[in-house]
Amino acid sequence: MNMIILWICIGSIILLLLWVIRVYNSLVELRNEVKNAWKQIDVQLKRRHDLIPNLVSVVKGYMQHERDTFEKVTSARSRALSAAGVHEKALAENSLTQALRGLFAVIENYPVLRSNENAMHLQEELTTTENRIAFSRQLYNDLAANLATKIEIFPNNIVASLFSFSKAEYFTADEAERILPSAETGIRMK
Amino acid sequence: MPLTYIDIEKQKTWRIGVFFLILLFMYFCVTFALFYGVLLFIFPFHFLRSGSLMPGNQIHLLLIFLFSLAIAAMHFWFSASGAVQSVIKNLGALPPDPDDGMHRRLMDLMNEIHVVTGDKRKIECRVIPSLSMNAIAVSDLKGNSAIAITEGLLSRLTRSQTEAVIAHEAYHILSGDCMEATVATSIFGMYAAMIEKLQNLGEDDRRGLHPAFFMFWILLKLSQLLSMFISREREYRADAASVRMTRNPLSLAEALHMISRNWRGAGPIGLGLEMLCIMNPRENMLDESEGFWANLMSTHPPIKKRIDVLLRMVRSSIADLEARENRETKKASSFADSDQHYYAFGPDKQWKGPLPIADLAALPWFSPLTWVSSGPRKVVRRASDDAVFSRIFNERPDLTGGEVMSLKCPICRQFLFGIPYEKTKVNQCRYCGGILVENTKIPRIIARREKEFGERVKSLAKAMVNDNQRRLSIKKLTGADSKAKPHLNCPKCLNTMMRTFYSLAYLVEIDRCGLCNLSWFDKDELEMLQFVIENRITATMPYD
Repeated sequence: MNMIILWICIGSIILLLLWVIRVYNSLVELRNEVKNAWKQIDVQLKRRHDLIPNLVSVVKGYMQHERDTFEKVTSARSRALSAAGVHEKALAENSLTQALRGLFAVIENYPVLRSNENAMHLQEELTTTENRIAFSRQLYNDLAANLATKIEIFPNNIVASLFSFSKAEYFTADEAERILPSAETGIRMK
Repeated sequence: MPLTYIDIEKQKTWRIGVFFLILLFMYFCVTFALFYGVLLFIFPFHFLRSGSLMPGNQIHLLLIFLFSLAIAAMHFWFSASGAVQSVIKNLGALPPDPDDGMHRRLMDLMNEIHVVTGDKRKIECRVIPSLSMNAIAVSDLKGNSAIAITEGLLSRLTRSQTEAVIAHEAYHILSGDCMEATVATSIFGMYAAMIEKLQNLGEDDRRGLHPAFFMFWILLKLSQLLSMFISREREYRADAASVRMTRNPLSLAEALHMISRNWRGAGPIGLGLEMLCIMNPRENMLDESEGFWANLMSTHPPIKKRIDVLLRMVRSSIADLEARENRETKKASSFADSDQHYYAFGPDKQWKGPLPIADLAALPWFSPLTWVSSGPRKVVRRASDDAVFSRIFNERPDLTGGEVMSLKCPICRQFLFGIPYEKTKVNQCRYCGGILVENTKIPRIIARREKEFGERVKSLAKAMVNDNQRRLSIKKLTGADSKAKPHLNCPKCLNTMMRTFYSLAYLVEIDRCGLCNLSWFDKDELEMLQFVIENRITATMPYD
């Protein structure tokens, strides 16, 4: 009889260990995925930096009056390239997004550009770039939420605190980004 | 009814798991019983036939069984591993054309979906040159996967709607639904053919393979049943996942609504591939019903329920959706079917009419100097002075822009210019306005509806269709064509081009080179063809 109890105890300890290993591994995987998703945002931002000069120069010729819109885009881009530190970078990227939105709105105001292939190409590229950045941030937030859940739910939080897993911060929109640009020309954004 | 996509996904995944376990258990019992049953069955059978297989010779039977298992495994591997290629080839799906604006948008959308799914798996995209609206996802054992979208869907949905459809298909691939379906489709077809062949062989049958194949056939039927059982749940779950990815349930609902009202590709999309589509190409009552049997046997859930679930997330309803769509289609211009009839003074000093504007504009001698009047006692004026007619004359196509191509116009012998037309590239002659198009681009151009048609084209189109119908009937009756112009030579290979109508339903005359797959449209004919197809205009006048 004692032997059986012994075997049961050993078996359950082994099962417990296996469970701990499983939870630990899944937490590690999730943490790495979150880190990866964070870096992916940078990939999309860099793509935007590289793409803008070419595209903008193509359309500049058609819109001589909108020179200041183009100026804003170029200066915002150079600021974003030279920014250092996470907070500064985030601010610079947000102002670049706004400048591009202004450019986008301006293109909508020129109906003659609808038939222009290059302008439509630019519009498509701007749309997909902004979408990709948004999606990469969305993926990061979803993964961060997953990680937070996995760390906080009941059996897992024991393992998590044992190995000191921490939650990842969510990516939030800055105040500046919350102001939506108007499509009318001449309205300046702060 | 769950309100968020996360709830839907969880619920459906759980259900899928339970069904799977139940069926696995049934599957297991049946194969077990079948194995022993078959053993008992073939013993007397083979004993009667040849006597070489002694009853009780278990080891031989086991060896034969293992051998057939190995062969079956090899067949499984070979047929399933190349499944993506064969499905794509069957559909005639082509890689997207980088010159085409819509195809570039498709490639961008695929990249966006890759970003939002964390780039777990490389998914190819292909375009099916069909005017139907549907999307298919396939993946196979080798790890290849592809999403194929029809031209019709690509051209008729907006960017966010297309994105929602692609996200739905991408989720099917990533969750492994597609692999099972593609594998089952490709294997079942092969096995069915094999079984038929074996049955036909008669004396030459390979004894060892018979029972194994029979058993595999049963297993395959069961796995098909399994896929069908959970197929509905999978579609709901994929819809929810699409919303999770794009955060846009309204677009998916609109896309589904539009696809449900259009041709979904029954025909070009062959039998057995229905499970992989976003909406069943073959519309049937089974799909639209609920209940145990329908849940078991149908591959897709009822469309209305799918759309309802999605719209509930945005607190909207199908009635709202349809109201919005009706408002938007009303904005699209309709042919101003003025009942206003006019008289025109012909060169033979006779008044012709009363004719509607379309027919008047098509009269060969009609010019801005022609005298027109709206009635016997009404004012007579030159056509150029009449507001309605002058509009027809004032529209001239914009024949500027474009880059020089290497091909020459068959009529004017001048170099053609590549111009953008409906977001794709066609070659136009600056002198006569004629257009040379590759045949592969024609379905796209027909599907896309962004071009606005001028009044002149509309009038010409109607008149031309009637005129061509008349000529066709005359030709059929008398064998002669009075108005035939000399045949043109293909710009590329210099052979004579065949003169034909685009189709017997749409009588626009074009010249086609079968060797180079090019079509030549005279001035305005491409626009007329688009207009005629979009508005389903066929000949109405009786031929005199």
